[in-house]
Amino acid sequence: MQRLLLLGLNHTTAPLDVREKLAFAAAERDAALAAFAVRFPGCEAVLLSTCNRVELYISRETHGRPREEEMVDFLADFHRIPAQAFKDHLYYKSNRDVVEHLFAVTTSLNSMVLGETQILGQVRDAYEAACKAASCAKTLNPLFQRAIAVGKQVMHETKLNEGRLSVASVAVDYARNIFENFSDKTILSIGAGKMSQLVLQHFAALSPGQLLICNRDAQKAEALAEKFNGRAVDFDRLAEHLVVADIVVSSTGAAQAIITRPLFESLRRQRRYRPIFLIDIAVPRDIDAAVGEIDNVYLYNLDDLQQVVAQNQSYRKEAVAAATAIITRHVEEFDAWQRQRELGPAIQRLYARYHRVAQDEVARTRRKLTTVSETEAVHLEELARRIVNKLLNDPVQILRQSDGVHTPAGQYLHALEKLFRLGEQDDSPEAPDEGDRHE
Amino acid sequence: MGDVPSTGQLSVLVAAIAVLLAALFSSLRRWRAESRDPGGASAFSSRVLAKGCLYAGTILCVGVLFWHSHVRGIWRPLEDNFGAFLWLAVLLALFIIYTQRAHPLRGLDFFILPVVLLLLALAIVFGKTKPHEYHETTWSIVHRVTAYGGFVAFAIAGAVGGMYLFATRRLRHKKLLPGQGFGSLERLEHITFLSVTLGFALLTVGLVTGLIRVLDPRRPNSLGPDWYRNPKVVLACVAWIVYALVLHSPINPAFRGRRTAMLSVLGFILMIGTFVAVQFMPGK
Repeated sequence: MQRLLLLGLNHTTAPLDVREKLAFAAAERDAALAAFAVRFPGCEAVLLSTCNRVELYISRETHGRPREEEMVDFLADFHRIPAQAFKDHLYYKSNRDVVEHLFAVTTSLNSMVLGETQILGQVRDAYEAACKAASCAKTLNPLFQRAIAVGKQVMHETKLNEGRLSVASVAVDYARNIFENFSDKTILSIGAGKMSQLVLQHFAALSPGQLLICNRDAQKAEALAEKFNGRAVDFDRLAEHLVVADIVVSSTGAAQAIITRPLFESLRRQRRYRPIFLIDIAVPRDIDAAVGEIDNVYLYNLDDLQQVVAQNQSYRKEAVAAATAIITRHVEEFDAWQRQRELGPAIQRLYARYHRVAQDEVARTRRKLTTVSETEAVHLEELARRIVNKLLNDPVQILRQSDGVHTPAGQYLHALEKLFRLGEQDDSPEAPDEGDRHE
Repeated sequence: MGDVPSTGQLSVLVAAIAVLLAALFSSLRRWRAESRDPGGASAFSSRVLAKGCLYAGTILCVGVLFWHSHVRGIWRPLEDNFGAFLWLAVLLALFIIYTQRAHPLRGLDFFILPVVLLLLALAIVFGKTKPHEYHETTWSIVHRVTAYGGFVAFAIAGAVGGMYLFATRRLRHKKLLPGQGFGSLERLEHITFLSVTLGFALLTVGLVTGLIRVLDPRRPNSLGPDWYRNPKVVLACVAWIVYALVLHSPINPAFRGRRTAMLSVLGFILMIGTFVAVQFMPGK
């Protein structure tokens, strides 16, 4: 019997500075999955790390490891930070709650930006990474496949992603609050990831005077520059690019700030104190928060932009209700499917065991009765089979339908395995029946 | 007797102040309503009310101006305090109406309307108790036109500077939500700079012609040998220096942005001080 567990934090439970400490870059995620497999062998795991959340989904034996504290320790050990630094911001869920939560995540109901589709891709990436690391098997495989399907269905069948604000559109709106004319402005993109592309797509529509793409990987920068009719520039000359930039979109995977206050202070004179709009959509942040305190510098990080976007959500209550209905239906279906999958083999073993017991008893009786014809023997076997079926029918039906809070299928299944010794190799009953005892 | 505004004129002016106050509050209400629900009924009604009150208040002011000129039989502007303050208020109100029609700038009304209301209040206070008696010469006409013209330009610069400070503060503190903006900081800075440039030129001419007037011992407006201690002269000169600093910002960009806006507001406060100080000057 498998138990689904989730340990994580997100934008509602943890501020950006906590989230960025716990964030996993793609390479780190792979290393973490490998380390997890070594520490907890036989345990399935998917690690979802986005700008807004870090979540560790696992599936393990009901009484297996890791337990909650061990999961916390794993995250703390991997990042080499004390657990106290983030423990208070964590949430812990199990079984059905995990399914509900994951479905809410993939449908963006759990996102800061309601209706955003990016999370679906991020969940898919996390799942694929887990598959590649062979840490996703019989429980998490179907769970994540269904979660992705639910995400797609909600996006197609509801109006959740209509009329929404995005981080990029909000960033452009703020840029319009600072600059009137963009034809003489220079936009600098530091990083060439997906988020940068999304934001640049909106900014490119403003027809800026110059669009510079600055990335450690020059090829990626070239590709992005070509896409947006910009110019790829050398990452090592970032300071020079900052001098000419009016709007900076930063989204690198750097572990530490690449634009610090001393660096920016040193450029102000060369910049002739021109206003600058800095958009830091990286987690961990690329731009030191202290840069935002400098005069004529307008620094917005991901949280700032997303909070604005989140205020837009109240307008789409109907779409949320429709999405919630879809999620609820899928949670029920998944739960039933999982229960069936867990119960099916146990019920089969139960029937097989007691049919064998019945047939053994029929054989023993036939040996005692010397004049039993073949036809009568068939009737006896049929009688024994029907008795077993009738005796097991009610408990099995109740077991199949047990999904309430007070009758979790797992508990019944566990009891079934213990009471009827279904987990044992030898399925023959050990205790003699009353008749045997009398003999 | 016709120089002093009649009770009827003052009553209409008070009504105009009330209507313009309603325009100011409706405009503020509109701003708040639009940030919550841009297409909502509350935003629409506030917008209509704000516009209606602004137009009605301006018409009332123009009506009082005509009434006052008709009673006095003098149709030249800036002939007395009452008319001068009314003219300034009407010009600023017309500037709001023109800008909102031609190049809409959100929030302009609730930054300039307080100045309009202040001028109307000054018209009531100084228009009734101290009618301004001018001695017509070319210098005095040039002085008045340039000084008042400069005041209008500086009033716009001060109000837009205030908008800049308010907007930049909200932007920096991440409190400016989409749909709550006043137009870009770049545009506000541009308007401030244009207004200050125009106002500075007019003020310079106004200062020179004013000095010619007050330094000529033959004229009744002469301030004598201690002219440089006169509050009006001091305030006007300080305002001139402040605006010179604003104009200096392209050369020294460290002054641009917030500092320019602050100096514009400061300069305008000094200009109001100058206009109030002039009411207490001997001789006129």
